[in-house]
Amino acid sequence: MTVAGSKIPVAPVPMAEGDSMAEHEFGPLTRTHIVRYAGASGDFNPVHHDEEFAKEAGLPGVFGIGMMHAGILGQRLAAWVGPENVRSFSLRFTGQVWPGDVLTFRGVVTGVESAESADPVARIDLTVTRQGGGCVLTAAATARVAPAGDVPAGDR
Amino acid sequence: MVDTGIVGRELGTVRFPVERSKLAELARSFGSTDPLWSDHDAAAEAGFDDIPVPPTVTVLADLWREHGALDGAVRLGLDLARLLHGEASWTMLRPIRCGDELTARSSVLDVAERVGNRGESMTLVTIETGFTNQHGDSVATRRDVVIETAGPTGKEQS
Repeated sequence: MTVAGSKIPVAPVPMAEGDSMAEHEFGPLTRTHIVRYAGASGDFNPVHHDEEFAKEAGLPGVFGIGMMHAGILGQRLAAWVGPENVRSFSLRFTGQVWPGDVLTFRGVVTGVESAESADPVARIDLTVTRQGGGCVLTAAATARVAPAGDVPAGDR
Repeated sequence: MVDTGIVGRELGTVRFPVERSKLAELARSFGSTDPLWSDHDAAAEAGFDDIPVPPTVTVLADLWREHGALDGAVRLGLDLARLLHGEASWTMLRPIRCGDELTARSSVLDVAERVGNRGESMTLVTIETGFTNQHGDSVATRRDVVIETAGPTGKEQS
Protein backbone atom coordinates (compact mmCIF):
# COMPACT_ATOMS: atom_id res chain seq x y z
CA MET A 1 0.00 0.00 0.00
CA THR A 2 1.35 3.43 -0.83
CA VAL A 3 0.67 6.35 1.42
CA ALA A 4 -0.61 9.47 -0.28
CA GLY A 5 2.07 12.16 0.12
CA SER A 6 1.22 14.78 2.72
CA LYS A 7 1.52 18.44 1.74
CA ILE A 8 2.05 19.49 5.35
CA PRO A 9 5.38 21.35 5.53
CA VAL A 10 8.33 20.55 7.79
CA ALA A 11 10.46 23.65 7.17
CA PRO A 12 9.11 27.21 7.54
CA VAL A 13 7.22 28.37 4.43
CA PRO A 14 7.23 31.86 2.87
CA MET A 15 4.32 34.02 4.07
CA ALA A 16 3.30 37.64 3.66
CA GLU A 17 0.75 39.94 5.21
CA GLY A 18 -2.70 39.15 3.82
CA ASP A 19 -2.00 35.48 3.06
CA SER A 20 -4.91 33.35 4.20
CA MET A 21 -5.42 29.78 5.34
CA ALA A 22 -7.58 27.57 3.13
CA GLU A 23 -11.10 27.99 4.51
CA HIS A 24 -12.37 24.83 6.22
CA GLU A 25 -15.87 23.72 7.17
CA PHE A 26 -16.93 21.15 9.79
CA GLY A 27 -20.45 19.93 10.43
CA PRO A 28 -23.33 19.80 10.89
CA LEU A 29 -22.06 18.93 14.37
CA THR A 30 -23.60 15.73 15.75
CA ARG A 31 -23.65 14.28 19.26
CA THR A 32 -21.45 11.52 17.83
CA HIS A 33 -18.80 14.12 16.86
CA ILE A 34 -18.91 15.48 20.42
CA VAL A 35 -18.66 12.03 22.02
CA ARG A 36 -15.83 11.02 19.67
CA TYR A 37 -13.81 14.04 20.81
CA ALA A 38 -14.79 13.42 24.45
CA GLY A 39 -13.32 9.93 24.13
CA ALA A 40 -10.21 11.09 22.29
CA SER A 41 -9.51 13.90 24.75
CA GLY A 42 -10.84 12.42 27.98
CA ASP A 43 -13.18 15.39 28.55
CA PHE A 44 -16.16 13.70 30.18
CA ASN A 45 -17.84 16.76 31.62
CA PRO A 46 -21.48 15.53 31.41
CA VAL A 47 -22.74 18.89 30.05
CA HIS A 48 -21.28 17.71 26.70
CA HIS A 49 -22.88 14.24 26.47
CA ASP A 50 -25.59 13.75 29.10
CA GLU A 51 -28.81 15.38 27.88
CA GLU A 52 -30.57 14.95 31.26
CA PHE A 53 -27.64 16.43 33.19
CA ALA A 54 -27.48 19.38 30.77
CA LYS A 55 -31.22 20.10 31.05
CA GLU A 56 -31.16 19.82 34.84
CA ALA A 57 -28.34 22.37 34.77
CA GLY A 58 -30.71 24.73 32.93
CA LEU A 59 -29.23 24.28 29.46
CA PRO A 60 -31.27 23.64 26.30
CA GLY A 61 -29.27 20.42 25.90
CA VAL A 62 -25.70 19.24 25.45
CA PHE A 63 -23.28 21.61 23.73
CA GLY A 64 -20.00 21.21 21.86
CA ILE A 65 -16.60 20.97 23.56
CA GLY A 66 -14.66 24.18 22.99
CA MET A 67 -11.34 22.37 22.79
CA MET A 68 -12.70 20.29 19.90
CA HIS A 69 -13.15 23.23 17.52
CA ALA A 70 -10.07 24.86 19.05
CA GLY A 71 -8.23 21.65 18.24
CA ILE A 72 -9.51 21.51 14.67
CA LEU A 73 -8.42 25.14 14.22
CA GLY A 74 -5.00 24.35 15.68
CA GLN A 75 -4.59 21.36 13.40
CA ARG A 76 -5.55 23.45 10.32
CA LEU A 77 -3.04 26.10 11.42
CA ALA A 78 -0.35 23.44 11.87
CA ALA A 79 -1.13 21.93 8.45
CA TRP A 80 -0.71 25.40 6.89
CA VAL A 81 2.47 26.69 8.59
CA GLY A 82 3.98 23.30 9.53
CA PRO A 83 3.32 21.69 12.93
CA GLU A 84 6.83 22.32 14.21
CA ASN A 85 6.83 25.99 13.19
CA VAL A 86 3.97 27.08 15.48
CA ARG A 87 5.51 29.29 18.18
CA SER A 88 2.38 30.30 20.08
CA PHE A 89 -1.37 29.78 19.90
CA SER A 90 -3.77 31.80 22.06
CA LEU A 91 -7.51 31.51 21.92
CA ARG A 92 -10.60 32.94 23.53
CA PHE A 93 -13.97 31.25 23.46
CA THR A 94 -16.63 33.82 22.59
CA GLY A 95 -19.71 31.63 22.20
CA GLN A 96 -20.99 28.12 22.48
CA VAL A 97 -21.45 25.51 19.77
CA TRP A 98 -24.56 23.35 19.53
CA PRO A 99 -25.52 20.13 17.73
CA GLY A 100 -26.50 20.98 14.15
CA ASP A 101 -23.98 23.82 13.85
CA VAL A 102 -21.80 24.13 10.77
CA LEU A 103 -18.46 25.68 11.72
CA THR A 104 -16.11 27.63 9.46
CA PHE A 105 -12.39 27.94 10.21
CA ARG A 106 -10.40 30.90 8.87
CA GLY A 107 -6.95 32.41 9.35
CA VAL A 108 -5.03 35.35 7.89
CA VAL A 109 -1.48 36.67 8.24
CA THR A 110 -1.63 40.16 9.80
CA GLY A 111 2.09 40.84 9.60
CA VAL A 112 5.57 39.35 9.48
CA GLU A 113 8.08 40.42 12.13
CA SER A 114 11.76 40.61 11.26
CA ALA A 115 10.84 39.83 7.65
CA GLU A 116 14.38 40.59 6.48
CA SER A 117 16.04 38.48 9.17
CA ALA A 118 17.04 34.83 9.01
CA ASP A 119 14.24 33.85 11.39
CA PRO A 120 11.05 35.80 10.61
CA VAL A 121 7.82 35.19 12.52
CA ALA A 122 4.31 35.64 11.11
CA ARG A 123 1.44 36.92 13.22
CA ILE A 124 -1.80 35.17 12.34
CA ASP A 125 -5.39 35.92 13.38
CA LEU A 126 -7.87 33.07 13.29
CA THR A 127 -11.59 32.59 13.88
CA VAL A 128 -14.22 29.89 14.16
CA THR A 129 -17.73 31.00 13.18
CA ARG A 130 -21.14 29.32 13.22
CA GLN A 131 -23.56 29.32 10.30
CA GLY A 132 -25.02 32.84 10.12
CA GLY A 133 -21.67 34.36 11.07
CA GLY A 134 -21.65 34.25 14.88
CA CYS A 135 -18.08 34.01 16.12
CA VAL A 136 -17.45 31.29 18.73
CA LEU A 137 -13.67 31.51 18.96
CA THR A 138 -10.99 34.07 18.18
CA ALA A 139 -7.32 33.15 18.18
CA ALA A 140 -3.89 34.64 17.57
CA ALA A 141 -0.85 32.61 16.62
CA THR A 142 2.77 33.18 15.75
CA ALA A 143 4.73 30.91 13.44
CA ARG A 144 8.24 30.72 12.03
CA VAL A 145 8.20 31.46 8.32
CA ALA A 146 10.83 31.38 5.60
CA PRO A 147 12.92 34.53 5.10
CA ALA A 148 11.58 36.93 2.44
CA GLY A 149 12.97 36.15 -1.01
CA ASP A 150 14.27 32.86 0.32
CA VAL A 151 16.59 31.21 -2.14
CA PRO A 152 18.07 27.72 -2.01
CA ALA A 153 20.94 27.59 0.49
CA GLY A 154 23.44 26.69 -2.23
CA ASP A 155 22.84 29.99 -4.07
CA ARG A 156 23.88 32.22 -1.15
CA MET B 1 -17.49 31.34 44.68
CA VAL B 2 -13.93 30.16 44.93
CA ASP B 3 -11.55 31.05 47.75
CA THR B 4 -8.90 33.49 46.46
CA GLY B 5 -6.47 31.76 48.82
CA ILE B 6 -5.94 29.09 46.16
CA VAL B 7 -3.52 31.33 44.18
CA GLY B 8 -0.19 29.57 44.00
CA ARG B 9 -1.65 26.18 44.82
CA GLU B 10 0.03 23.27 43.05
CA LEU B 11 -2.50 21.12 41.22
CA GLY B 12 -0.29 18.12 40.84
CA THR B 13 1.78 16.35 38.24
CA VAL B 14 0.52 14.14 35.43
CA ARG B 15 2.62 11.99 33.10
CA PHE B 16 1.30 11.47 29.61
CA PRO B 17 2.71 9.19 26.88
CA VAL B 18 2.15 10.68 23.41
CA GLU B 19 1.06 7.50 21.65
CA ARG B 20 0.14 6.80 18.05
CA SER B 21 -3.27 5.31 18.80
CA LYS B 22 -4.24 8.36 20.87
CA LEU B 23 -3.03 10.67 18.08
CA ALA B 24 -5.05 8.65 15.55
CA GLU B 25 -8.18 8.95 17.71
CA LEU B 26 -7.63 12.69 18.07
CA ALA B 27 -7.08 13.22 14.33
CA ARG B 28 -10.22 11.21 13.57
CA SER B 29 -12.25 13.31 16.03
CA PHE B 30 -11.03 16.42 14.17
CA GLY B 31 -12.32 14.94 10.91
CA SER B 32 -8.82 14.76 9.43
CA THR B 33 -8.00 12.10 6.87
CA ASP B 34 -4.33 13.08 6.38
CA PRO B 35 -2.25 10.01 7.40
CA LEU B 36 0.56 12.30 8.58
CA TRP B 37 -1.12 12.69 11.99
CA SER B 38 -1.01 8.98 12.82
CA ASP B 39 1.21 7.04 10.39
CA HIS B 40 4.99 6.66 10.80
CA ASP B 41 5.55 6.05 7.07
CA ALA B 42 3.52 9.10 6.04
CA ALA B 43 5.41 11.26 8.53
CA ALA B 44 8.77 9.96 7.32
CA GLU B 45 7.79 10.47 3.69
CA ALA B 46 6.79 14.07 4.46
CA GLY B 47 10.23 14.61 6.03
CA PHE B 48 9.36 14.50 9.74
CA ASP B 49 11.55 12.67 12.29
CA ASP B 50 8.37 11.18 13.75
CA ILE B 51 4.60 11.77 13.71
CA PRO B 52 4.00 15.45 14.56
CA VAL B 53 1.23 16.60 16.88
CA PRO B 54 -1.44 19.30 16.60
CA PRO B 55 -0.91 22.37 18.85
CA THR B 56 -3.64 21.46 21.36
CA VAL B 57 -2.36 17.93 22.04
CA THR B 58 -1.24 18.85 25.57
CA VAL B 59 -4.92 19.11 26.56
CA LEU B 60 -4.98 15.31 26.53
CA ALA B 61 -2.40 15.17 29.31
CA ASP B 62 -4.62 16.80 31.90
CA LEU B 63 -7.78 14.85 31.10
CA TRP B 64 -6.68 11.33 30.36
CA ARG B 65 -6.80 9.90 33.87
CA GLU B 66 -8.18 10.52 37.35
CA HIS B 67 -6.90 13.61 39.12
CA GLY B 68 -6.70 15.47 35.82
CA ALA B 69 -7.95 18.99 35.16
CA LEU B 70 -11.67 18.35 35.68
CA ASP B 71 -11.01 16.68 39.02
CA GLY B 72 -8.69 19.56 39.86
CA ALA B 73 -11.47 22.04 39.07
CA VAL B 74 -13.88 20.19 41.35
CA ARG B 75 -11.30 20.03 44.13
CA LEU B 76 -10.85 23.81 43.83
CA GLY B 77 -14.57 24.14 44.57
CA LEU B 78 -15.69 24.93 41.01
CA ASP B 79 -19.15 23.74 39.91
CA LEU B 80 -18.92 21.73 36.64
CA ALA B 81 -22.47 22.68 35.62
CA ARG B 82 -21.51 26.38 35.70
CA LEU B 83 -17.99 26.01 34.32
CA LEU B 84 -16.81 27.40 30.98
CA HIS B 85 -13.38 27.29 29.40
CA GLY B 86 -12.74 30.96 28.63
CA GLU B 87 -9.23 31.12 27.21
CA ALA B 88 -6.20 28.97 26.49
CA SER B 89 -2.77 30.00 25.29
CA TRP B 90 0.27 27.94 24.44
CA THR B 91 3.91 28.84 24.07
CA MET B 92 5.72 26.14 22.10
CA LEU B 93 9.35 25.72 23.11
CA ARG B 94 10.34 22.49 21.37
CA PRO B 95 8.54 20.09 19.03
CA ILE B 96 6.45 17.37 20.69
CA ARG B 97 6.40 14.10 18.76
CA CYS B 98 4.79 10.71 18.91
CA GLY B 99 6.74 8.59 21.41
CA ASP B 100 7.44 11.44 23.82
CA GLU B 101 6.55 11.07 27.47
CA LEU B 102 5.32 14.39 28.86
CA THR B 103 5.18 15.50 32.46
CA ALA B 104 2.66 18.26 33.17
CA ARG B 105 2.82 20.39 36.31
CA SER B 106 -0.06 22.79 37.02
CA SER B 107 -0.65 25.54 39.52
CA VAL B 108 -3.19 28.30 40.10
CA LEU B 109 -1.78 31.58 38.75
CA ASP B 110 -4.67 33.93 39.51
CA VAL B 111 -8.25 34.16 40.77
CA ALA B 112 -10.44 37.15 39.87
CA GLU B 113 -14.05 38.16 40.30
CA ARG B 114 -15.73 39.89 37.39
CA VAL B 115 -19.21 41.34 36.89
CA GLY B 116 -20.89 40.11 33.71
CA ASN B 117 -23.15 42.00 31.27
CA ARG B 118 -26.26 41.33 33.31
CA GLY B 119 -24.70 42.30 36.63
CA GLU B 120 -24.01 38.69 37.61
CA SER B 121 -20.80 37.75 39.37
CA MET B 122 -18.29 35.41 37.68
CA THR B 123 -15.10 33.86 38.99
CA LEU B 124 -12.10 33.58 36.64
CA VAL B 125 -9.39 31.10 37.58
CA THR B 126 -6.10 31.13 35.64
CA ILE B 127 -4.14 27.89 35.66
CA GLU B 128 -0.59 27.56 34.31
CA THR B 129 0.80 24.22 33.20
CA GLY B 130 4.38 23.50 32.23
CA PHE B 131 5.20 20.47 30.08
CA THR B 132 8.56 18.73 29.98
CA ASN B 133 9.56 15.72 27.90
CA GLN B 134 11.38 12.51 28.83
CA HIS B 135 14.74 14.29 28.39
CA GLY B 136 13.78 16.94 30.95
CA ASP B 137 13.43 19.62 28.25
CA SER B 138 10.60 22.16 28.56
CA VAL B 139 8.46 21.69 25.47
CA ALA B 140 5.48 23.97 26.13
CA THR B 141 3.66 26.10 28.65
CA ARG B 142 -0.08 26.68 28.66
CA ARG B 143 -2.34 29.10 30.49
CA ASP B 144 -6.03 28.37 30.84
CA VAL B 145 -8.74 30.65 32.12
CA VAL B 146 -11.77 28.79 33.43
CA ILE B 147 -14.90 30.76 34.29
CA GLU B 148 -17.45 29.78 36.89
CA THR B 149 -20.60 31.60 35.79
CA ALA B 150 -23.41 32.76 38.06
CA GLY B 151 -26.02 30.61 36.34
CA PRO B 152 -26.19 27.70 33.93
CA THR B 153 -23.81 27.95 30.98
CA GLY B 154 -25.34 28.82 27.62
CA LYS B 155 -28.68 30.08 28.98
CA GLU B 156 -28.63 33.01 26.57
CA GLN B 157 -28.17 30.83 23.50
CA SER B 158 -30.30 28.03 22.19
